[in-house]
Amino acid sequence: MSEYMVEMEHIDKVFKTRHVLQLDEETRRRRWYKVNKVHAAADICFGIRRGEIFGLLGPNGAGKTTAVKMVSGLVRPDKGRVMVDGLDVEKKRRQILEKVGVVLEGTRTSMWPLTPYENLMYYGNLKNVRGGVLKGRAHDLLDFIGLKEKKNTEVRKLSRGQKQKLAICIALIADPNVLLLDEPTTGLDVQSSRAIKDRIIEMTRQHGRSVLVTTHDMHVAQELCDRIGIINKGVLVACKPTSELLDLFSDQVFSFKVNTLPDSAAFGDLPGVLGVTTEQSADGPVLMVKVVSEEALRSEAIYGVTERLRGLGCRMVSINQRQQNLESVFLQITGEPLQDAEEKDDSGTDAA
Amino acid sequence: MGFFLVMKAELVRTWIVMRRYWFRTITGMIMGYGMLMVMIAGFIYSRPMVGSAMSKIEDPMAATNFVLGFIIGMFAFGVVGMFTQGLQGMATTGVLEQLCMSPHGLITNFMAQTLVASVTSILSSSVMVFMVTFTVGGSLHWDTLAVVVLLTLTFFNLIGFGFMVGGLVLVFKQVGQVAFIIRMALFGLAVFAREEVMRQAWFITIPLHLLPVTDAAICLKYVLIKGQVDAAGEHLSVFQHPSFYWLVANCFIWTSIGLVVFRFMEDYSRSKGTLGTY
Repeated sequence: MSEYMVEMEHIDKVFKTRHVLQLDEETRRRRWYKVNKVHAAADICFGIRRGEIFGLLGPNGAGKTTAVKMVSGLVRPDKGRVMVDGLDVEKKRRQILEKVGVVLEGTRTSMWPLTPYENLMYYGNLKNVRGGVLKGRAHDLLDFIGLKEKKNTEVRKLSRGQKQKLAICIALIADPNVLLLDEPTTGLDVQSSRAIKDRIIEMTRQHGRSVLVTTHDMHVAQELCDRIGIINKGVLVACKPTSELLDLFSDQVFSFKVNTLPDSAAFGDLPGVLGVTTEQSADGPVLMVKVVSEEALRSEAIYGVTERLRGLGCRMVSINQRQQNLESVFLQITGEPLQDAEEKDDSGTDAA
Repeated sequence: MGFFLVMKAELVRTWIVMRRYWFRTITGMIMGYGMLMVMIAGFIYSRPMVGSAMSKIEDPMAATNFVLGFIIGMFAFGVVGMFTQGLQGMATTGVLEQLCMSPHGLITNFMAQTLVASVTSILSSSVMVFMVTFTVGGSLHWDTLAVVVLLTLTFFNLIGFGFMVGGLVLVFKQVGQVAFIIRMALFGLAVFAREEVMRQAWFITIPLHLLPVTDAAICLKYVLIKGQVDAAGEHLSVFQHPSFYWLVANCFIWTSIGLVVFRFMEDYSRSKGTLGTY
């Protein structure tokens, strides 16, 4: 038996999108539309272990939702193979659907004229669950997710957070081994977001489910996931345990709090120094120094910066290793800030 | 077994919605009745303007014919609509993605959904047909076996056609708008379909026979209005009527085509990445 519950093996997916044009910039001819090819997945490989929360992180249009849909069989890859619990999604889709629960567009998947309990009974039947088992599970899930009080309220009267919770219950009604959550906390207030994250962690630990979470929110990924894959324009650019991913970069940036800001160009020639920027924080001026990860050279670089500061007449108040967050990890891996990547994607390379 | 489980779920859901929104359900029926009566009255009182061509409308049997055609038309409109506007609506709300995630498969889900919607529609339509018929002084000849067989065949005829159009909608969502015109055409055909229409040249009658609602409407009208009495005034069972054979043949043809096209298009929309989305 494979150690992975979900495996994506060398997945390729290209979507053709049509952009309505008045004038083709390349040929200078007028056209009705232009067909663009968008790589939603380019040789993507990753696996999700049993009882693990795996996060797919990336900007809008990076290919995250496409990955979720490929695991659930809603989208067929052009190349490669998706395996769930040792079964090929292409060949055994129906069997796999009994093992997989999906939350896509969470707040809208439920039937709004029905109550949460009625929704669970309805979707339970659709998922082949019936009788006493279904009733018991519906009650347990509503209790677990915190919707017990609202079980007889029509969904249309529920808040966005409550609808999202219900969507998760619907995904769990067949007691799946794999849970796929597409942007589970988007648009929720802090409290609802916290509650949902807690429930996801709880059910993963208690029931040993494998969870795939896609998000463009770095904090969600950081708080929830055991491992993170960073995806950008269909390419999986990194895939590591969350702590390792943060450690990988955290030793590279040091902040030197000083009494007066020197010229950052004065540090460029120091060995082991990759880049220097200056910031004016609330506590005073700060020199941010990015150094190489090799330990010996790194120490030399820090020593060099300290000496150079002294030479320039700057008094050093403190040195701190900067705590990295995934925002800056994303920046360092992809070479562009998350917001820029999203803006570019919004302007014409929407993959999912 | 899966089909009946899904059907039970649909039945419960429909019942809950009808009961919860009872005012809307009753209003819908009253409006349907009122609309039919207004249309019949409109036809009758517009006679001086349209001349003798409309003289038959004054006849209760002709009015009943019209009402029944209207109801069959609405039925066809509704069933095909489930696969077009209904599918579009579910895609827009995100419910379709969940249906696609059901291990029973999309075809089973749709079949069950449409069957429940059709039974509901038939029940409410029957009440309306009897009310309107009674109001205009007409009468209906009831033959349970014939009506059940004909409605079943009509259902599969329409569902086959619906699956075909629905398959196209899965991939090309804009087809739904075109399908609205097709639904209107089916509706018109059901209203005006009668045996006399089928005495035209072959190049008119063959396409009419191939459409999913023509022979269904003719057969139902033949049973309910004519009481299974042919033009010579002799009793001829609907099961011996030529339109019945066309209906049976159509039923197999449309159901087969519909299921094949739907399965193919479902598969294709998975490749295209449009399954379940709008």
